[in-house]
Amino acid sequence: MSNRHIGRTVGKVALALAAFSAVFPVFWTVLNAFKNRVDIVTPTPLFIFTPTLDNFAYVLGRDSVFAGLLNSVIISGMAVLIGTVLGLPAAYAIARYPNRWSKDIQFFVLSLRFLPPVAVAIPLMVIWLDFGFYDTRLSMIITYTLLTLATVVWLSVPAFSRVPKEVEEAARVDGYGPFAVFFLIALPIASRSLIGAVAFSFVLVWNEFLIALMLTTSDAKTLPIVASELTQLGRDVPWGILNASVVLLSIPPLLFIGVLSGMLNSAFKRKSS
Amino acid sequence: MKTKHILPAVFLTPAMVILAVLALVPTVYAVVISFQDRELSRPDGQFVGLANYLSLFSDRRFINAIQVSLSWEVLTVVLTLVMAIGLGILLFECTTPKVRNLLSLLFLVPVILPRVSAAFVWKFAFHPLYGIITYPYKALTGQPLDLLSNPLTALGTVALVDVWQWGLFFSVIVLKLLETLPPQPFEAARLDHAKTWEIYAYVAIPMLKAPLISLAFVKMIESLRAFDLIYVMTRGGPGISTETLDMYAFSQGFIESGRISYASSMAVLMMVATSIAFTFIWKRARI
Repeated sequence: MSNRHIGRTVGKVALALAAFSAVFPVFWTVLNAFKNRVDIVTPTPLFIFTPTLDNFAYVLGRDSVFAGLLNSVIISGMAVLIGTVLGLPAAYAIARYPNRWSKDIQFFVLSLRFLPPVAVAIPLMVIWLDFGFYDTRLSMIITYTLLTLATVVWLSVPAFSRVPKEVEEAARVDGYGPFAVFFLIALPIASRSLIGAVAFSFVLVWNEFLIALMLTTSDAKTLPIVASELTQLGRDVPWGILNASVVLLSIPPLLFIGVLSGMLNSAFKRKSS
Repeated sequence: MKTKHILPAVFLTPAMVILAVLALVPTVYAVVISFQDRELSRPDGQFVGLANYLSLFSDRRFINAIQVSLSWEVLTVVLTLVMAIGLGILLFECTTPKVRNLLSLLFLVPVILPRVSAAFVWKFAFHPLYGIITYPYKALTGQPLDLLSNPLTALGTVALVDVWQWGLFFSVIVLKLLETLPPQPFEAARLDHAKTWEIYAYVAIPMLKAPLISLAFVKMIESLRAFDLIYVMTRGGPGISTETLDMYAFSQGFIESGRISYASSMAVLMMVATSIAFTFIWKRARI
């Protein structure tokens, strides 16, 4: 009995440590983003200091960071929009009108998610150079659409399959055509899971690094590229500014953590039922 | 029951055409370029057959990159799974529902962070002079601890960041998998006075063998994309001690010499490896 008790306590301590390790580095980065340089470059880490907004003001005032932010918003936004508009109907067709290629289509779509980015980026670099679209937002949007479209289709098929068939049948009896059933019945009922799928595809392209690094050099650079270049600045590294730009880069994906966790939950609930 | 309708064609065709074009054109291009001797400065390449592939195998840096990638794969896949199973069981065993939900959310934070952010957060934490992780060592010994500049520890240190992101995330998945198991085998084992660890080692984990193996394969493919972390934290250094395949392909094709054909041949090999692993997962998941 007491053995079990000790085991539980040890387990709880281990969990607490894991939770601490998950959150503390992020918390520490946020803290450093509000520090003056003298408070970061100290022999002993400082927890108490006079906060400053200078780092954020500097980062947001820098043209390169602002341009990167704008590029990221436009490129990720458009890629997600196209991926959603084309991907949701395709996923619905796969879920509700299965044919003999459905399995192959799903295999193909999911395999795209697992392509090594470097294997996509190298040929695309050559292609966009040959076409004269290298380092443009357009080429980045098209390239990222491959990622968003594949992801949205892959995650939305199960979401549409979970919509009760009876509801759709009832609507059909009421005289709804197949398109009306999709837009007025299936889409609203599945909307919660679909939002998760779209959010996931956004986080994926917002965080994407290698492809953007190889397909952009100046005009279309996204925020992760700009942030990574800040870390390469010479010896006198502006740590506070760096931390501030990392915080800025990380906020959008973290906003979706609730949605993504909900999607994870519903994915496994389906399996158990 | 269902009459033929134009909906599937209308809904499927645009998405599939776009995906097929966007996926197949670069793939075919990669293969074609890999049979040429094209460089970034010289747009016209000659057909050279298998020359790029053959020279890969006498290229010491390529052999090194394979070794680094293999070490990276083993380190990150094994540690991620050990951490995920360990923490997953603890989450299942020692938490109240409220704490469980909270921790499931917190454990997702690292994997949702952009990898560039994660890499930077830890690069700073491991900084020999100002880092918070290296601080205790420095305070105790008076010596700075520079893990990322030491060829022996650099790869392991970067791997830690990868495991931090994926191990915590997979522990939540292991928890969800445990929650889907029926309670009867657990109760039966308990009636037989099985110890808690025995229940997991001999009952629960064997029951989850199939999904856990799938998780391992997903992580294997995911680990092939080590690039972002390594690029920000070490740039393949010190020397070439953390130069993985994608890092080497990148530097051959992009920074150093612009040998785009040579880089392409590496990319094609990685694509083949990924496809084999992926097909394997797919077949398993279907059975």
